[in-house]
Amino acid sequence: MTLPHAPLLTTQQLTRRYAGLVAVDHVDLVVPQGGVHAVIGPNGAGKTTLFNLLSGLVTPSEGRISFAGADITAQSAHRRAGLGIARTFQNIRIFGAMTVLENVLTGLHPRLRSSLGAVIFRLPSFRAEERDAVAGARAALDLVGLSARAADPASSLAYGDQRRLEIARAMAQNPKLLLLDEPAAGMNPAETVALGELVRRIASAHTTILLVEHDMGFVMRLSDSVTVLNFGRQIFTGTPGAVRSEPAVVEAYLGARLAAKLQAHHG
Amino acid sequence: MSIPPWLDDLLWTYQNLIHAMGVNGLLALSMYVVLAIGQLSLGQAAFMGLGAYSSALMTLKLKLPFFVVLPASVAAPVLVALLIGVPTLRLSGVYLAIATIGLGEVLRAVYLNVDVFGGALGLNGIPERAETWMIFGILAAGITGLWLVGRSGVGRAMEAMREDPTAAAVMGVNVPRYHLAALVTSAILAGLAGALSAHVSSFIGPNEYGFEPAVTILSFALLGGIGTPIAAVAGAWFLTLLPELMRDLPQVRLTLNGVIIVLAVLFLPRGLLGWRMGRKAA
Repeated sequence: MTLPHAPLLTTQQLTRRYAGLVAVDHVDLVVPQGGVHAVIGPNGAGKTTLFNLLSGLVTPSEGRISFAGADITAQSAHRRAGLGIARTFQNIRIFGAMTVLENVLTGLHPRLRSSLGAVIFRLPSFRAEERDAVAGARAALDLVGLSARAADPASSLAYGDQRRLEIARAMAQNPKLLLLDEPAAGMNPAETVALGELVRRIASAHTTILLVEHDMGFVMRLSDSVTVLNFGRQIFTGTPGAVRSEPAVVEAYLGARLAAKLQAHHG
Repeated sequence: MSIPPWLDDLLWTYQNLIHAMGVNGLLALSMYVVLAIGQLSLGQAAFMGLGAYSSALMTLKLKLPFFVVLPASVAAPVLVALLIGVPTLRLSGVYLAIATIGLGEVLRAVYLNVDVFGGALGLNGIPERAETWMIFGILAAGITGLWLVGRSGVGRAMEAMREDPTAAAVMGVNVPRYHLAALVTSAILAGLAGALSAHVSSFIGPNEYGFEPAVTILSFALLGGIGTPIAAVAGAWFLTLLPELMRDLPQVRLTLNGVIIVLAVLFLPRGLLGWRMGRKAA
C-alpha cells in the first residue's frame, strides 16, 4: 500500500562501515514518488555504496530501507529486483557474450513463471510467455533506440550504446525505481543531451529515477531534487536551484579556503 | 528387431568402450551443469561413487530389481549435494573446488574403512544389468533436457550468472537457488552414471572416485566446451576414444592426454565445439 503522497523510498540512519572508513554515515534519504532525483558529491562521498545498499549488493551496518511502504532492509538483491528496484552500473556490466536482445530478456527474468515441465515439453504456456518476453524486450530496446542491434553480441556495441543497453535491460524490469549510476560518464556532449532526453522520457508516475552523476549541467537540467553527500554524510537536500547557493555544498566541492574566497568575492 | 551381424560383432568387440563413452558422456553433462553457471565444483566423481556404491549395495544386499535400483541410485548423491550445497553456496571459484575435492577424499576414506563398502577390495560380482540402450537413452534424455532448458529463460539466467553473477542478481536471478539446483542436477547425472557403470563392470573400488577421475571429468568439459551440453559430451568421447587409438603406444598415452588438454586450454579456450546455444528470436 502506498499513499498518494508517501515517498517511494526512504532510508533511516542508513550506515555502512568498512575497516577504518564510514562510507555511508547515517543517511536519511527520501525519494518521492515520480520524477528525477539526484545524489551528488565529490569522489569518495559514498554515492556508489549508497546505490549498492539500495539495490541489495551491500548489507547495511546500521539503519533501515523502506520501499513502497515495506521494509526491504533484509531482502536480497534478486528479491528487490522483483519488487521493482532496477539499476545500472558505473562500470558497465552487460553480459558481453549474449546478444543485445538476450541481455534485455534477462531483465524480464523475475516475471517468468513456467515450470520446468513446461520448459522441457515446450507447452503452449511456455511459448506464450517467451513470446511476451521477447515483445517486452523489443519494446525496451525501442525505447533506447537499439532495436536495430537486437541480434548483435552485446560486446560489439559502442560505449554509449552499452550504457543505453544497460538502461533498456533495467527498464525491461518495469521498475518503480531506477537507479542510474553515472549514466553520462564517458559520453560526449551530444550523447549526454540525448541521454538527458531519454531519462526525461523514462521518468514517469510509474518509474521514479534516482541518479548519481558528476556532470553538474546534466544534474541541474534534469533533477527535481538533489541530495549532496560528503564523506558519507548527507549535507544537503533540496532543489537544484538551492543547492548552488548552499555554502556547505560549495565548501565540499571546492574546499573551505576557496569557498571562503568565492564567498568574499561575491559578497 | 534384429541388428545386422556386422554391427552385432562391432558392439560386442567394443562393448566396454561403448559403455565408457555413454557413462563418460553423462559425467561430462554433470560437469557441464555446474560450469554453465560459472561454478567450479569438482564433486562429480564423488557423486558418481555414491551412485555406484549405493546402487551396488541395493543390488547385492537388498536384491532389488534394476528398474528400482537405477532411479533409487540418485538418492544418496542428491542428499549429499544438498548437505554440502547449502553451506558452500557462498563459495565460488577455487574455494568451491577445494571443498568439493575434500568431499571426494572423505568419501574415499569412508569406502576404505567401513566394512559394508568392502574396504580396499571394493565390491565384486555386481551383476551386469545395465544395458547399452539404457545408458544411451539416459544420455540422450540428459542432452535433450539440458538443451531445452538452456534455450529458455533459465538458460539465459545461467549464462548471465556465468558472465557476471552480481549483474544477474540485480536482474532478479536467484543466484544461490541456481547454484543449488545445478549441484543437485549434477549429482543426479553423476549418480546415474555411477549406477550404470557399476552394473556393466561388475566391480567397483574406492580409488575409482577420487581426485584423478574428478580432474578427468573436468577435462571432458574443458576440452569439449561448455557453450552447449553436446560440446561437453563431445569432449568426453574424444578423451575416451583417444587412448584406444593409441593402444600401441601405451607409454605415451597419458602424456599425450595431458598435452592435448594443455593445448586445448591454450588455443581453444571455448573448447572444441565453442559455439553458444542458439536462442530463438535472438
